[in-house]
Amino acid sequence: MILQLNHLQKKIAASTIQEVVDTLYALLEEGQLEQEQFARLRVHLDWIQYRQNFRECVSATKATSEPQKQRSPMEVHIDTRQVTPGALRDEILRTMTSCDAPAPRQEGVLLEDFRSFRESIAWGFNRLYWHRLADWEQFTGRGYEQALPGGKSDANHPGAVADCVGDFWTLIRDLDSRKQLPEEIFVLEIGVGMGTRAGLWLDRFRALDGERGTKYYPRLRFLLGDYSLATLERSRPAVKEHLELCSFVVLDALNPLKNLAFLRHKILHIHLTNVYDNLPDEEFARRDGKLYAVQVRAYVPPADAQRISQESKISTAEIPRTVNRLLEGGPDYLADRQRGLAFWQEVWKAMRLEERLVSLEDLPDVVLPSGLHQEKLEEVLQEAPSDVRFHASSGALESFQNTVPLLHPRGFLQVQDIFVTNFNEYRLGFHGPGKLDGSIVNWVNGVLLREVGERAGYDVHFAPFHYRKGSRTSILYTTQRE
Amino acid sequence: MTLPILPTTVVGSYSMPGWLERLKTEFYARRISRRDLDEIHDTAVKAAIKDQEIAGVDIISDGELRRDNMIDYFAERLPGVQIDHASKKFHYDFYDSKVLGKLPLAPLGLVEDFKFLRANTDRATKFCVTGPHSLSKRIRNEYYPSEEEFAMDLARVMNPELRAIAKAGAQFIQIDEPNYSGFPDDLPWGVKALNLLVEGVEAKIAVHICYGNRYGKPSWEGSYRYLFPGILDAKVHQLTLEFARRGGEDLELFRELPAKFELGVGVIDVKTQAIETPDLVAERIRKALAVIPAERLFVLPDCGCLHLPREVAFGKLCAMVGGARLVRKELKG
Repeated sequence: MILQLNHLQKKIAASTIQEVVDTLYALLEEGQLEQEQFARLRVHLDWIQYRQNFRECVSATKATSEPQKQRSPMEVHIDTRQVTPGALRDEILRTMTSCDAPAPRQEGVLLEDFRSFRESIAWGFNRLYWHRLADWEQFTGRGYEQALPGGKSDANHPGAVADCVGDFWTLIRDLDSRKQLPEEIFVLEIGVGMGTRAGLWLDRFRALDGERGTKYYPRLRFLLGDYSLATLERSRPAVKEHLELCSFVVLDALNPLKNLAFLRHKILHIHLTNVYDNLPDEEFARRDGKLYAVQVRAYVPPADAQRISQESKISTAEIPRTVNRLLEGGPDYLADRQRGLAFWQEVWKAMRLEERLVSLEDLPDVVLPSGLHQEKLEEVLQEAPSDVRFHASSGALESFQNTVPLLHPRGFLQVQDIFVTNFNEYRLGFHGPGKLDGSIVNWVNGVLLREVGERAGYDVHFAPFHYRKGSRTSILYTTQRE
Repeated sequence: MTLPILPTTVVGSYSMPGWLERLKTEFYARRISRRDLDEIHDTAVKAAIKDQEIAGVDIISDGELRRDNMIDYFAERLPGVQIDHASKKFHYDFYDSKVLGKLPLAPLGLVEDFKFLRANTDRATKFCVTGPHSLSKRIRNEYYPSEEEFAMDLARVMNPELRAIAKAGAQFIQIDEPNYSGFPDDLPWGVKALNLLVEGVEAKIAVHICYGNRYGKPSWEGSYRYLFPGILDAKVHQLTLEFARRGGEDLELFRELPAKFELGVGVIDVKTQAIETPDLVAERIRKALAVIPAERLFVLPDCGCLHLPREVAFGKLCAMVGGARLVRKELKG
């Protein structure tokens, strides 16, 4: 058995480890656990920082399609944050015995079949949240920024904005001195939130331009891009003093090029905040030198399913169909709006993901993220710990690949987000997915972004966000690769 | 070799297959031998030649598939250039290369690559060489007092090789100088170095000037206005320029191009994967014909097709040939 501790919360870890070991040995002695099962167990202890997440206190992940089943890894994941004294034994026992059952738990409600996380119904909930943000906020009585750690976005930190504007001004001044500055100076912000950062950025740029007498401000063409029209509308007041320079563009963060192809190689600065961590993603794991895709299926645990059934006055069997209607038409399409909103919140809160590992050899048609080939991935993994589970960050890679062609040859991209910049970090903490209000939050694999960036002609750098003490965000920025 | 009016050609590089990239990288990881890599290169070059022939291109190249990039192929061959072989992780990366003393004269071994091309096609051929200005911008100069003097000496040592290539039967040699566009103030000495490079080379000489194609993206933006009047001093027969991606506005600058120059007009955008239609290509050629007579006009992509997938590169070459044929028909009336 391998016991893997993936976090640094010492006190919690110490007591839990002892309890886990004692429990497993007790189960072995009692014959509840076979020796062979015990031998191939890998127990992962995580401390999940997201209060709302997709894990139960104890869950199992099994490898499928192994020719020699007894050799396949069998993983048990324990969230040390959720462990309550005395409950561990029952939880482990339940997980171990239900591992081969078709459903995760008797009478739980399955919402989908096994698939890559990026195709999971969870992302349907995420989409609904952003499209119906106002409804969600009204129902919960709080704005989405309040759900962020610290209650506000680091993106709006005046120091960070001022530095960004300063760098940008230096760039265009340099181009100007070489007579290479285009007449129209394009800037793009993807994922605009309330427009606060865009407003601050424009205020600062106008002031700097005025101080230095360079008259670049009227030449600015500031594009605010978001995939939600509702969000774009909400951002307008924040940039009201600059409206003559602003355009509001509905765009898909996965492929900004689709709507902005006419600006290929023309945008001098592109900025994104907390977008990559909210794009569809999937995970891979390397076990015993073999690469596995982590597949998931969403379900509602039995107790929650019963409660939702009673509150919503539908049978548990009707829950999946009702969820589909919710995701297709929004809460209005359920019996009445308030009940629809309540159903949405409750299902989202209760939803968990069961996992299994599928060898990549058994998935010949597996689609790796844009710009990443399996050879490349394996090359990158040579530098990684031997057993590691990591994000593919498919959505982030796709977005990156479809954003950089918009950059002017001297332009730069800045992405403020939560990045894993070294594979070892995956062994030191949980990096998602978690739930942030009605949306999904996931750390972004900066190592893979760096690799894909190189092939696209950009060196990708990460700088810690030093403007707020304790911030876990970093700033990705690109420089042209020679 | 008789060429049709509006001859079609390429800028040099052809699509680099993924398998070849991987094998090149394997070579650097010492997992395959030089001998095997040479054989792989021969096979890849033959395939590139065949694709160009099938597409119907009139003047073809070897696809430059032996080259890791436009610098290292030459830096490795130039005696006196020191290379840090550990500095390359991926074949397309540039070596960290530097020059610490005066460059000696020695054969560079380019003639053999030209002969391979010549031996494998009946079509007219073109051989491409990176120019001294662009080489001097990438190879670190730790000896010469100035970049200009370094570039002039590069031209001096490369000139005999170009003469030898011409002697071996090359009728058309193209000098690639994309870095002119990034450093327009260098143009006067860039042209001086170019002239020294091609002095006494008995072949049609073109100079290719674009806005960069590293990683399939431009390195600079601007207007070809900077080329005038400096480029008029170049002792070359043809200017080969990028117009498809950038639009044809700059074409107007070449209306008064002296009759001694031909113009190679880029009609294929190599920075997108969308394949042009022959009609679109024809339209671009007609635009060019409004400023330069057909007998001085060559038709080609904006730059090399290196970064395009093979099927896209091939499709684009076919469209280019199709477009040229459409306009030839119109000219015949």
